[in-house]
Amino acid sequence: MEFLLENILNLIGFIVGIIIGVFAYIGYKNTGSPVLFRLTIAFFAIGIGFGIIWIGYVIDDVYLNEGKINRGLQALGLGIQTIGYFFIAFSHTIKSFFPKSRYFRSVGILPLFALSAMNIEHIIRSFSFILLVYGAIETFVSFLEGKQKGALAVGTGLALLAFGEFVAWYSLVFPESILYSASILMKISGLVSLFLPISRLPLRKIKFDDLDDDLDDGR
Amino acid sequence: MGAYRKQIEIVGDILDAADELTIDNNGASITKLIQKANISHSRISKILTNLVSQGLLEQVDSERACRYKISMSGRDFLKEYKRFSEFTDNFGLTI
Repeated sequence: MEFLLENILNLIGFIVGIIIGVFAYIGYKNTGSPVLFRLTIAFFAIGIGFGIIWIGYVIDDVYLNEGKINRGLQALGLGIQTIGYFFIAFSHTIKSFFPKSRYFRSVGILPLFALSAMNIEHIIRSFSFILLVYGAIETFVSFLEGKQKGALAVGTGLALLAFGEFVAWYSLVFPESILYSASILMKISGLVSLFLPISRLPLRKIKFDDLDDDLDDGR
Repeated sequence: MGAYRKQIEIVGDILDAADELTIDNNGASITKLIQKANISHSRISKILTNLVSQGLLEQVDSERACRYKISMSGRDFLKEYKRFSEFTDNFGLTI
């Protein structure tokens, strides 16, 4: 059951991440916005991270039949996902803490990494959790300021991903309980919630041949 | 205190103003664009030159002063700008 849910979660994560990443990339190409560039990196990383773990499960299911994913592959996938969460949190950090100073923008990310944990996978998961909580809080604050329904959906999605991560930790304490399956379902709900507002935007491409770097100045 | 606007937001505001003010082929005056986009004269001059050179705005010859109207690719850019502004708003970010 858990194996199947993990497969579904990682496949959905891969698809959602890549679709939002492609959309953000089109936006970056058409407008030159650095925020869209960061979101492109974020969602491609999230999609690729989920994709790597999904491939790990598929390899085990088809060839190895051990009933568990290779730990190295899982750590790699989680690490790449965390890079994605970092870029989402980083965009909020720039907006919230350092609206003008380029110097502080460059060093402001360091406190986010002042953490320690038992092993590499848990370190990565703890980073993900903190980054997701931070991103969710900032998105909720934006919702309260602007009353944008999409921000509520994205904030809820990030919060569900964070809470799913938290519950997954708890499942280490109670390994035979339903907690791990519940955490996977929460993460799937989070990904769906993340995708909802983006699915309402028209997915089409317009190419601008004449735009050059002039628009990119003064970001 | 007013919110700090990025360059792309200023460009978006100018194009939006030009779009609204371009009712006929006469285009909009700089004064109207300054008022509508809320930007200083010294700053808008450089941006208008850039936008005209990129084909997003068209300069209209007039007897009295320079007038600007939005071009087709300017309208396309504005449409994309608004679409992706909504996209970044969903993440609680500004484009």
